Amino acid sequence: MYKRNFFPFVVAVLLGTATTSCNSNDDVENQAIEIPGITIDGDVDCCSAEEALQVYKFLQTVYIIPELSTVVDGKYNVFAYAKSASFHTGYNELYFVATKKSNGNYIKNFDITNLSPLMLMTKMGMRHSTPVSSGVASFNDNYLAVKKGWVAFLMNSGDSGSWTFSYDANVLGATGGVEESDIVVGPLPEGQSWLKSFKKDNTTFYLTLKDPSAWQTGTNTVEAFVSVKSDDSTQPYQLASEQFVIDIDPRMPDMGNHTSPDNVGLTPQADGTYQGTVNLTMTGLWRIHLTVRDQKGNILAGGDDLSDGYSSLYWDVTI
Amino acid sequence: MFFPFFLTILPFAPADSLPFAPADSLIAGDEHSLDEVVVVSIPSDRRKRSAKGQVATIDEHLSELSHVNLIRRGSYAWEPVVNNMQTERVATTIDGMKIFYACTDKMDPVTSYVESGNLQSISLNSGLDGNPQATGNIGGSLDLRLRKAGFDGDPFHLTLSAGHEWNGHVQVYGADAAVSRQTLYANAGLFYRHAGDYKTGGGERLPFSQFQKVNAFTNLGVKLTHDDILEGTFIFDRATDVGYPALNMDVAKAQALISSLSFRHQFRHAAWETKAYYNHITHEMDDTQRPDVQIHMDMSGKSWTAGGYSLFTASVRQHDLSVNGDVYYNRLFADMTMYPGGAAPMYMVTWPDVGTLNAGLAVRDKIWLTGGRSFSVSAKMAWQHQKLNNEEGFKALKVFFPQMGDTYHQTTGRIAASYSHPLGPVLLAVGGGWGSRAPTVTEAYGYYLNNTFDQYDYIGNPHLKNESAVELNTQVRWQAGKELTITLDANAFFFSNYIIGQFETRLSPMTVDAEGVKVYGNINHATIANFSLKGEWQLTDWLRWNGSLSYALGRDADSDPLPLIAPWAYATDLVVSVGKWQGRVELKGNARQQKYGRKYGETQARPWAVCNLNAQYVFAPFTLRAGIENVFDKRYATYADWNHIPQKGRNIYLNLTLDL
Repeated sequence: MYKRNFFPFVVAVLLGTATTSCNSNDDVENQAIEIPGITIDGDVDCCSAEEALQVYKFLQTVYIIPELSTVVDGKYNVFAYAKSASFHTGYNELYFVATKKSNGNYIKNFDITNLSPLMLMTKMGMRHSTPVSSGVASFNDNYLAVKKGWVAFLMNSGDSGSWTFSYDANVLGATGGVEESDIVVGPLPEGQSWLKSFKKDNTTFYLTLKDPSAWQTGTNTVEAFVSVKSDDSTQPYQLASEQFVIDIDPRMPDMGNHTSPDNVGLTPQADGTYQGTVNLTMTGLWRIHLTVRDQKGNILAGGDDLSDGYSSLYWDVTI
Repeated sequence: MFFPFFLTILPFAPADSLPFAPADSLIAGDEHSLDEVVVVSIPSDRRKRSAKGQVATIDEHLSELSHVNLIRRGSYAWEPVVNNMQTERVATTIDGMKIFYACTDKMDPVTSYVESGNLQSISLNSGLDGNPQATGNIGGSLDLRLRKAGFDGDPFHLTLSAGHEWNGHVQVYGADAAVSRQTLYANAGLFYRHAGDYKTGGGERLPFSQFQKVNAFTNLGVKLTHDDILEGTFIFDRATDVGYPALNMDVAKAQALISSLSFRHQFRHAAWETKAYYNHITHEMDDTQRPDVQIHMDMSGKSWTAGGYSLFTASVRQHDLSVNGDVYYNRLFADMTMYPGGAAPMYMVTWPDVGTLNAGLAVRDKIWLTGGRSFSVSAKMAWQHQKLNNEEGFKALKVFFPQMGDTYHQTTGRIAASYSHPLGPVLLAVGGGWGSRAPTVTEAYGYYLNNTFDQYDYIGNPHLKNESAVELNTQVRWQAGKELTITLDANAFFFSNYIIGQFETRLSPMTVDAEGVKVYGNINHATIANFSLKGEWQLTDWLRWNGSLSYALGRDADSDPLPLIAPWAYATDLVVSVGKWQGRVELKGNARQQKYGRKYGETQARPWAVCNLNAQYVFAPFTLRAGIENVFDKRYATYADWNHIPQKGRNIYLNLTLDL
């Protein structure tokens, strides 16, 4: 008796539910992607709408560098970005994006070459460059329209000297760039030191630690670059062709030189970088003592004993 | 025979209305493995209690128990050691509730979170024959029994007590009141202690030996029907400014909230109690008062436990039977921040927010056989699941154990049996058992925990196996008339996979000045054995003599001595009781510690002997107690004094209790 009366009721409820299904997007008329300042109009020079959105989202996470942004041939904008609003000593990642002035669309194929930082030491009348990436490359397959490079500043701007930066741009055949634009390089905070040098037979090499800001307590990948000082020191210092092996010994100077186990030294990788593994047992200041060896194992730099018994060649990282 | 044992517990509650006694007495263990110290007692009671009466600290009450020693890191919060086994191998419960300490340096054994005013008694089950709620009790289990007014007692009862100790200017004030009706009871109280630095023998002040503590509690009971009882407990305990002279830091605050609600149904020959509980501990260390601190650090710990148990007890013919199911969930988190002058703070997680879910099932049966013989058997199985909830702590440990996961399971069990047989004036009891325990959070997941005993930093090992032990015990009691009783007691524990810190020379210590790093590991086997001989002699109506002699042995797999094992110890006293007066003179001491854990960083403890005097006078409703401890002002430290910090020098105390 009960069942018989119940069934029509259930059917009615189900039918009612099915026909009144609703969604908070019901009133949205245009489902296409909207990116402020950009129209998606099937531009062959640009990317799919999805790629454009990814580029747009990425650019929300970085800071534009107005001094290094320019217009090429009146038709194209080239914008430079960095992870922080200003440059600092040591490793800085640089990002470049080119857009069409006419419609704001991103451009996939453009080249940035000759990244040329230059320090003018006013009092000494000297000029020198600093380590840079050999060029720029697409960020990765997902961000074809973003080019990435890096520069590692040896010193900060100040009374002793000031930095300029130049580069060449080629956007869809139109050439241009930035010529000796003044930039300001600040110091890294206390407890951070990411760029060190050593000499071998009158040649100076530079050890650049790739930005360790993301390091955490636990196991971390160490990435680094070895650059060589140019014969003409005003020319950018490119990656060294000579290969080394770099032992690392992370220590906490504030904790009686406490260290961690199972660290893996830096070895050259196919892409020209050096990679290793560092284990950090806690947050705080870690001094990563370095010993540079040639391929045969001979010590070239570091590995000497400071009064505390550790290598005088080191990076400082505070996590 | 256990009924009278428990019935005199409450001075203000008639026997048949005791809230806990029927159930407890049914599950009480064999005499030779059970011991009890009474916190609240009537003066004529001959059972164990502290000479200082209710004003004594929990630690002083604990020290009255056989098989128990106390590791002392300062004046406060001593760590109970049962059968020469520390916290890891001892299960401590408060009225059956699980509670876990929150300090990675063991500055807060859970016995420090209750006060004498909260308790009726402390009972000890030696060895594997633990109380039903105990888990992981290889050495023994302690249950701190709460003091409940009970139904149908004195309509109103008030206890006030005050005490003073001249050495260290210890002040103790306690007040509690109880109301009791046929269907309702309530009691509540407040306790306050304050102590300054004490003077060691010879008169030297020991800095950082002060403490202060407040405690408030309430117990409520309602009879819903004649046989259904609902009871609730709430305890708030807060210790502040606690000095630890044996360590390099003190405690700013150690605070606990303990609560429970239970329902009990009484059958004619059985009782069924189900309890739900929650407790929460916060612990904050403090080194800001110390001079010459190389690096100031903040260390805090948190522990909370929610759980419940359901205990059914019955007396059926010659059986005393109990079945208990319990479950608890505990979370343990501790971290440390160090502040090197000017540089970035250094932070690490020392207990990675470990969640432990544990469920256990225990049974016990005691069978009364003919001719005074009895046989008892108890068993428990427990299942445990652990999860590391703090990712930073997990990643840090993973540096040392790349293969580790963030969840672990353990199954542990214990079974123990004993048999007692009277042979004329001699009562012979033998027992044995097997049991296992899961590694503690410190042993499995602790991270750079500095141990000031051996100056090593300890790292937990998530790959540890369960530790297990076979126990054998015996007791021979010779009763020569009514006057003289001599008891010989011996037990031995044969461990497999004994867990202890092991040298790891490849690792670098974290603590400045630490000797090195140890990682917990299982050693193949170890042995701990205890022996004691006790005598009681009622020489005349007014004169009684007690004497005891004990020795213990601990060996690791290489036959090297284990650390913190008691040397030869002796105690003897004479008690004179005349009318309302009672006086006592006591001599106790230890021989030189011949076998000490040199390998484990222990240094030899020297022999010592002290003499104590105390007296008690009852003029109802007052009880006056006074005494002199360490009469000859000897400067000494026992083997259990962490880093050999000296004990109190001569101390005169006086306390007064009013019972209305």
